[in-house]
Amino acid sequence: MEFNDKHVMGLKDLLYRMADDLLILGHRNSEWTGLGPILEEDIAFSSMAQDKIGQSLALYEILQELGERDPDTVAFTRNAEQFHSCYLVEMPIGEYDFSLVRHFFFDHQSALRMEMLVDTVVEPLQMVARKFKGEIKYHTMHADTWLKQLAATEESRLRIQTAINESFSMALGMFESSDYEKELIEANIFGGEDELKAKWYETVSEKLMAFGYTIPSLDSEASNGGRKGQHTEYLQPLLDEMTEVFSIDPAADW
Amino acid sequence: MDHFQTYEVFEQKKRGTHHIHVGSVHAPSSELAMMFAKEQYSRRGQCVNLWVVKTSEILATQYEDADIFETTASKHHRDPNSYKVMDRIKAFKERQKQNA
Repeated sequence: MEFNDKHVMGLKDLLYRMADDLLILGHRNSEWTGLGPILEEDIAFSSMAQDKIGQSLALYEILQELGERDPDTVAFTRNAEQFHSCYLVEMPIGEYDFSLVRHFFFDHQSALRMEMLVDTVVEPLQMVARKFKGEIKYHTMHADTWLKQLAATEESRLRIQTAINESFSMALGMFESSDYEKELIEANIFGGEDELKAKWYETVSEKLMAFGYTIPSLDSEASNGGRKGQHTEYLQPLLDEMTEVFSIDPAADW
Repeated sequence: MDHFQTYEVFEQKKRGTHHIHVGSVHAPSSELAMMFAKEQYSRRGQCVNLWVVKTSEILATQYEDADIFETTASKHHRDPNSYKVMDRIKAFKERQKQNA
């Protein structure tokens, strides 16, 4: 079917939310580099942070094909209110329990979203979904393995459970509806945030219960706003730091 | 991280080939050791399968017993290079060249 303006706007919004989430969380998770709990985990977590930045680049490139500015400009020159990322990814790294739970919630969302996009009519997005399937699968395996491991002692189980309870409404904010849900679904671009949320909840609740945790109800209030450019006080300082070097000479050839 | 065990990591580059020892990782469980091994050792390049094995499960010989590996000088006939086939191989190659 022919795309009209609303289809294109919906597709761009979808790509921006995915790319911005990955860029911001990739940057956040890289803050653990050198501080990870053990050397092996430090390397694994840093490497996954790098993967996320790489995935965001692939999505910004599709946006460029759709007429948006080049990836560097888009990544490094926008202000917080121009970002479509959710609250969950912009929160400071906190303690490792929070960072692991965020990793678990976010990466299962990411894996399921990409899985839904394997059949999208948007060919370059289909390619990206296929290309990163294995990479994202490792990210979810890594998150699952840690959460399972940390359920083993009462202190660690309690810390993870607290992080689950405290970050759950922000996790629901990943699925904030776009203004173009209907258009995305009817054009077979994307199955929609509601379908993704249902799949995600089924996956994460099954896993958490198997590991020995509880999960808040899907009816809990969602922390929405990020997808519409409203952000917490934590995003702008992150952007200032991330763009510090780029801003010295935006025209420099790297 | 003395309270964590070490695990030895073996990587298989292609199905059907041997797993080769590539190093070790510290980890609180074999499952996490596997996750770490993947990023430490198989991040770049080809890998189709990984093994992790608790270092403590490996029985090793003692270096002071290394003399058990010594071959007696009088048993050179056991080495493949003792067979006197080189002359015949050379002759064969020579014939091949002439026929070519």
